[in-house]
Amino acid sequence: MTTATLEPRTKLPPSQHELAEIVHRLEAGGAMVPDTPENLMQIVGIWYAYAVPMDFYWRDLLYIAEQVFLNPLAFRKFFISEEYLNRHNHYAGDDADLRIWRGEATAHPELLKFIRQGETRPMPRWLHHLWHDRINMEFAEECMRAMLWHRGMGGQFDPYLDSEEYKQNADRAIRAYFRGNPLMLGLYRLFPEMFLEQCRQASYYANLGLFWEVMAPVFFEIHDRYLEGSITTVKDAMNFIVKGIFAVAGRPIYHHVYIRGECYEIIPKSKGFMWLYEAALPYVEAVFYRTSPFRGTKSYNAQAGMVPDKQEDFHYGVLYADKFPVGTAGIPPTLLAQDMFHFLPDYLRDYYRKHCRGEADILVQLAISFQRSMYCVTSAVFHALREALLYPLDDPNPRHLLANRRFFEAQLDRFCRPEYGIRDAARIRHIQTADYR
Amino acid sequence: MLSVLIFGPVLAGLAVFLLRDGRQAKTLALVLAALMVGWMGVVLRRFDVTAPGMQLTEFVPWLPNLGLNYHLGCDGLSVSLLALNSIITWIVVYSTPAAVVRPRLYYGLVLWISGGLAGAFAAQNALLFVLFYELQLIPVYFLIAIWGGPRKGYAASKFLLYTAVSGILLLGGVLALGWLSGRANFDYGAMRATVAGLPVAVQGTLLLTLLLAFGIKTPLVPLHTWLPDAYVEASPPVAVLLGGILAKLGTYGLVRFGVQLFPELWVQVSPVLALWGTAGVLFGALAAIAQKDIKRMVAYSSIGHMGYVMLGCATATPLSLVGAIAQMVSHGLILAILFHLVGVIEAKVGTRELDVLNGLMNPVRGLPTVSSLLVLGGMASAGIPGMMGFVAEFLVFQGSYQVFPLQTLLCVLGTGLTAVYFVILLNRTCFGRLDNRTAYYPPVWASEKIPAFVLAGLILFLGLQPHWLVQWSEQTAQNLALTTVAVASPVAQL
Repeated sequence: MTTATLEPRTKLPPSQHELAEIVHRLEAGGAMVPDTPENLMQIVGIWYAYAVPMDFYWRDLLYIAEQVFLNPLAFRKFFISEEYLNRHNHYAGDDADLRIWRGEATAHPELLKFIRQGETRPMPRWLHHLWHDRINMEFAEECMRAMLWHRGMGGQFDPYLDSEEYKQNADRAIRAYFRGNPLMLGLYRLFPEMFLEQCRQASYYANLGLFWEVMAPVFFEIHDRYLEGSITTVKDAMNFIVKGIFAVAGRPIYHHVYIRGECYEIIPKSKGFMWLYEAALPYVEAVFYRTSPFRGTKSYNAQAGMVPDKQEDFHYGVLYADKFPVGTAGIPPTLLAQDMFHFLPDYLRDYYRKHCRGEADILVQLAISFQRSMYCVTSAVFHALREALLYPLDDPNPRHLLANRRFFEAQLDRFCRPEYGIRDAARIRHIQTADYR
Repeated sequence: MLSVLIFGPVLAGLAVFLLRDGRQAKTLALVLAALMVGWMGVVLRRFDVTAPGMQLTEFVPWLPNLGLNYHLGCDGLSVSLLALNSIITWIVVYSTPAAVVRPRLYYGLVLWISGGLAGAFAAQNALLFVLFYELQLIPVYFLIAIWGGPRKGYAASKFLLYTAVSGILLLGGVLALGWLSGRANFDYGAMRATVAGLPVAVQGTLLLTLLLAFGIKTPLVPLHTWLPDAYVEASPPVAVLLGGILAKLGTYGLVRFGVQLFPELWVQVSPVLALWGTAGVLFGALAAIAQKDIKRMVAYSSIGHMGYVMLGCATATPLSLVGAIAQMVSHGLILAILFHLVGVIEAKVGTRELDVLNGLMNPVRGLPTVSSLLVLGGMASAGIPGMMGFVAEFLVFQGSYQVFPLQTLLCVLGTGLTAVYFVILLNRTCFGRLDNRTAYYPPVWASEKIPAFVLAGLILFLGLQPHWLVQWSEQTAQNLALTTVAVASPVAQL
């Protein structure tokens, strides 16, 4: 399927939207981010730096969902087993279901090297952990919790978590997990909802893990192609994601738990929950748009109406986020920035050294590159939805083009709402210029 | 010994001015200013804190027929201000940007001013004092007029006019004293004897003349209107020089000429003087609260803090005088750190507007060290215990309360108002959210922080070990005191 052509045969009059320039760019098959070599370098480079820790995130998320499960003393949940480090990604390596990345299916070599010695020197893993010389899974957990907390974002996965069938599946797994543990079984009898909610959380661990299992090879491949010279524009990079989205859209989202060697299917693959609708779109909605106001980034006074009444109006995601840490603020995004910092390609590191305060504020600079790149991913989602639900960009029917425009404008309206300062918080206007760093 | 503190900087200034390569001017000036600090250390070492009267005196007859002799000496008041002068001069030279235009002239003027100030503080002859007092005028005018801000011409002219009037009043008062004595002797001791024999009305006229002269220089409300313009338009190092040490000529004069030469009359008019000081404290604080420009806010805070000195001088108890002298030094150092930091903020952020500044405490893109030091400076200025501002103000209040309880309490209220405007300044400048879109401030280099660290170290050290601040002036204050109040002496316990 083609994704875009720059010159549609039928032309519409100019959009009157306040972000008309971006509407026109989207209509031409572009992204919300201006298509410049500098932006492409930032976007592709940061995706690589993101993909390496993401290769750990998805493995550990699945490890927690499938192995740690409801362990109340999960001190070692970030100490991922060798089995999960060697677990084959379904979209990389020779035995891939669909080979997106031409690299290895096991954990990325840079990741393995970092796990061994970190930025300091080889030490026992628990010392690396305490020294924070490690991959910060807290960021991944924060994303998972955003998805869990903002439930009701469409799809079938989320309603299924409240179904009787899910409860019965979870009940079986919980009883099996705590077999021979009268204390926990007693607590389960007393507070069944609490255990069930923990089980739902574990299901979201699995959901996000399965989502990122796809995204890591996508980003690796884009980076490789950029270095090879086959991806030369932001549009190329975005279209690669769009193609990837469609290629794996039907990937099943499930939650299996392994207890004493036996597999308990809490959410069986047979339910037919699809990657695009049950993982990708809720993830974008929860993490890119909504999340929650991180403590300290800014003073939020809910009683003064500074926090929206409705969760769907939350606007604290990466597309809005303030990348300046203040005190203890913005911990999860700051931790992500630290994770990406370990794996920055040399060309991007050199680029950051030349701007602002160089090494001193590199975490902020890369976080802003990340923000640009996520606008590019969001643009890919817009195009994927448009292709799935609406019309080709070169459709000769003006009404179809108008429908496309209405769709794009409706998406951009989310960055223009004046309520709760949403318009001012959105960074879409900032990323239009290169001097936003 | 004291002559070195005068002629050292003057010759150093000349050497800098005659340099062929202007790029070496700062280095040479810095080395010579550091040597003066070292020499000041020698002077302090030789100074006997237990001895009454003038020490380290030097006398060379100059124009004896006119009563003008080169007569130097120092007591606790002089030595404290001489030390402050040395430190502030080094800070001014160090904190001046390397790229300053016409560096030879600039550093030359700074060093000449330093030498002149040392001469004024060490002079034991009123005419010699006037000579050094007037010598400051033109160099400071040039420092503002050449290296100042957008309204430098206006500010420099205003400064020149006001301080010229101050100088004329001072010269008139001193000459009148000399003529009334019927003999050409302008040494302080001789003048004191002359004053004692004058009718009260004449004494009153002379005291008023001198009060106006030093009131302009200090400045005291309502003679202060040159100050905000001069401080704001002067470059930050020159503002440090102006507020840190030059203004102390006025407060020094109040003690040396007012308290020392007119003791009987001073006691009679002291309630009015205390009220004058109190008005200055409250006016300065309230005016500072109303400001939107942080440099102007600091400038008005200076007016307020001079009021404490006036209150201490008016009371003239041993303790209040120790407090007043301590306040001169404390104010000099605190104002220096505040002006220096405000200058750094302006240089990095490009504005001094309270409504624009925000979030400078941000650890990554803000100015966190500068902000932290600004918080320290604000706390010191507001008289927070543990810093030298507290020591000085506490001594003034403790020494003044039994004589002027109402004025003292109003001044205590003034310290509360000081805290108010510094909270406003710090809250808006350092805290809050740095604007993600606009905050691309250049980093602050270590060399820009060093002056502030030196000053902060002194402020903390002298706050925690106040004996080093007050020991120099205790004996002098005892001698100068006009009122004895039965209060426990906290000085001895500090």
